Amino acid sequence: MASTEVPLGAQQDADSAVVATQAPRWRAYLPVVATAVALAAIPLIIGDSRYYTDLATLALVFAAYAVGFNIIFGNTNQLFLCLGAFAGVGAYGTGALGNELGVPMPLGVLISVCVVAGFGAAFSWVSVRRRLDVIFVGIVTLTFSLVFINLLLGQRDVTGGETGMVLLYDPGPVGERGLVSYYIFLTVLIVFLTVYRWVQRSHIGWAFRALRDDEVAAELSGIDVARYKMIAGAMGSAMVALVGALYGHYEGFFSPTTFELGQVDVPVLVMLAFGGIGSLLGPVVGATVFTIVDAVLRPLAQLRTAVYGVILLVLFLGFRHGVVPSINDLARWVARRRSPGS
Amino acid sequence: MAVVLDGVAYGLQLALLAVGLTMIYGLGGVLNLAHGQFAVVTAIAAALLMDSGLPTLPAVIVGVLTGAVLALILDASIMRPVYRLQGENRVLLSLLITLGVAFVIDGLLIYNYPFTALNLNVAGPAINLLGVPMRRGSLAASLLALVALGVLIVFLRYTRRGKAVRSIIEDEEGAQLCGINPSRIRTAVFALSGGLAGVAAVAEGMTSSLSATDGLNLTILALIVTVVGGLGSVAGALLAGLLLGIVYSLATFYIGAYVTFIILLVTAMATILVRPSGLMGRGA
Repeated sequence: MASTEVPLGAQQDADSAVVATQAPRWRAYLPVVATAVALAAIPLIIGDSRYYTDLATLALVFAAYAVGFNIIFGNTNQLFLCLGAFAGVGAYGTGALGNELGVPMPLGVLISVCVVAGFGAAFSWVSVRRRLDVIFVGIVTLTFSLVFINLLLGQRDVTGGETGMVLLYDPGPVGERGLVSYYIFLTVLIVFLTVYRWVQRSHIGWAFRALRDDEVAAELSGIDVARYKMIAGAMGSAMVALVGALYGHYEGFFSPTTFELGQVDVPVLVMLAFGGIGSLLGPVVGATVFTIVDAVLRPLAQLRTAVYGVILLVLFLGFRHGVVPSINDLARWVARRRSPGS
Repeated sequence: MAVVLDGVAYGLQLALLAVGLTMIYGLGGVLNLAHGQFAVVTAIAAALLMDSGLPTLPAVIVGVLTGAVLALILDASIMRPVYRLQGENRVLLSLLITLGVAFVIDGLLIYNYPFTALNLNVAGPAINLLGVPMRRGSLAASLLALVALGVLIVFLRYTRRGKAVRSIIEDEEGAQLCGINPSRIRTAVFALSGGLAGVAAVAEGMTSSLSATDGLNLTILALIVTVVGGLGSVAGALLAGLLLGIVYSLATFYIGAYVTFIILLVTAMATILVRPSGLMGRGA
C-alpha cells in the first residue's frame, strides 16, 4: 500500500506551526480566548429572544460534542460511532442514579462520566489489542449504540421507554433554559477547547500526531500506542458524556431519540468534517454553521435528511480538509504573498 | 421444529440481503451503507408500478432492475473518487459517501412516499412441509431466495465472469495480471448487488411489508450478517444468514422480540472481537 497518502483523519494541522514550535504560551491559547469573547457576546446581539438563545445553546452543545469526537477520531483515528450512546449513558445514568437512589446530580454526573470514560478506554484497548481496522472499530461501536438504544426502549421501568425519563429531582441551574444555561454550556465548551489545546502542546499531543500519521512508526519509536489511544478514547468519551448529561438535564427529560445515532453521531461527524477534522476551532465553526442551516431547513421536514446527504457528499468529495484548514491555508497564502522576498 | 423452519426461511432472506454487501466489500474494499436503501428503492418502485395498474410480475422485475441501475449509476459517478484511494482510507471514504447516499435516498423517499409500501400477498392456505404448516408467503420468499442464491453460486463457480469475480476477491493485483479488468467487474458486481438487494426486498414483501423508512434497518441487518459471516465471504454470508435466522426465530419465540435484536447485535460484536475475519473469513 502506498504510504505517501495522507489518512483521512490526518490532514496537516493547519495551526501545527503554533502547536509545534515553542511559541509563547499565550499565543497558542489566543484562538480559544477570541472564541470565548465572541461567543460570550452572542446573547447581546440576539437579545432576549427565547428561540435564538435556545438555538445558540444547541450550537454550543454540538460544538462540545464535536470537540470530544475530534480528540477520538481527529487525533487518534478511532471511529467511535457511539457518541449518542455515550451521551445517553451520561444523561440516563445520572437520571437513574438520582431517580432510583437519590444520588445528588453532581455526583451522579461524575459517576456516569467516569463509567463512560471507562467504556471509551475499553473500546480503545480492545481495538488496539485485537488490531481492529478503523472500520471494525466503527462497527463495534455502532452495535454498542444500537444495543444501548434497544435497552433504553426495553427497560421501561427505569428509562420510561419511548416516552422518555422524567426527572424526579431538581436539575439545578442547567435546567433553567435561557441565558444561564447558555453560559454554562459556553464555559464547558471553552474548558474543552483549552484542554484540547493543552493536550496538543503536551507530550500527549506529540504522541497523537505521531501515531495518527503512522501507527507502526510511532510504536517503533517507543510510543505506547495502546496507552495514548486509551487516553484519547477515555478523554473524548468523558467529554461527550458530560455534555450529554448536561444537555439531558437542560431539556428537562430524556428521550431515546435525543441520543439516537442520527441525532448525535451523524450531525457531529458532518460538523467536524465541515469545520475540519483535527483542527482546534473546526468543531465550533462546524456546529455553528450546521445549527443555522438546520434551523433554516426546518420547514423542509423529511427532505432535510436528503439535504444533509448532499452536504455529506459534497464535503467528502470536495473539501475533504474542512473549512477552517482551508481558510488557514488561504490566510497563509495571502501572508506569503505580502511578505517580501519569500 | 416449526420455529426452526421459520428461522431457516428468515435466514435465507437475511443471506440474500447480506450477499450483495459482502461481495462489494470483498471486491472493491467498499462498505456500502446504502445497501438497505437499494432494497427500499426497489420496493417503492415496484409498489408504485403496481398501484398504477401494472401486474405484479413485471412490476417486481422493473423494481429489481431499478435497484440494479441505481447501483450502476452510483458506481460510475460518485464512487469513482473512492476507488482512487487504497486500503483503510478507501473503506472509510466509501462508508461516509454511501452514508450520504443513504440519507439522500431516505430523505427523498420518506418525503415523497410516506405511505407507500410493498406488500405482495401470496394468498392461499398454509402448506404442510415436513409435517409443519408453513405460510405460503414465507415459502414463496424462501423459494425465491433459494433460487437467487443458487443462480448466484452457479454464476460464481462455473462461469468465466464469476471466476473472474472470485479471483479479484482473492487477489486484485494477481487478477489484473491475468488480464482481468477489476474496474469493469467491480461495476458489474455493484449493479448485481443492487439487484440482489432488490430481490431481497421482494422476498421481504412476500412475508411482511417494506416501506420507505426500513432502509437503515435493512442495512444494519445486512451488516450484522456480513460481519458474522466474514466481510467479503459469500459462503460466510449464507451460513451466517441461516444461523442468525434460526437464532432470531428461536429467541423471538422463547424470549421476546426486543432481546432478540440485542442478541443479534451482541453476536456481531462478539464475532468481531473473537474472530475479526468472521466465520468463513480468510485470516484477519
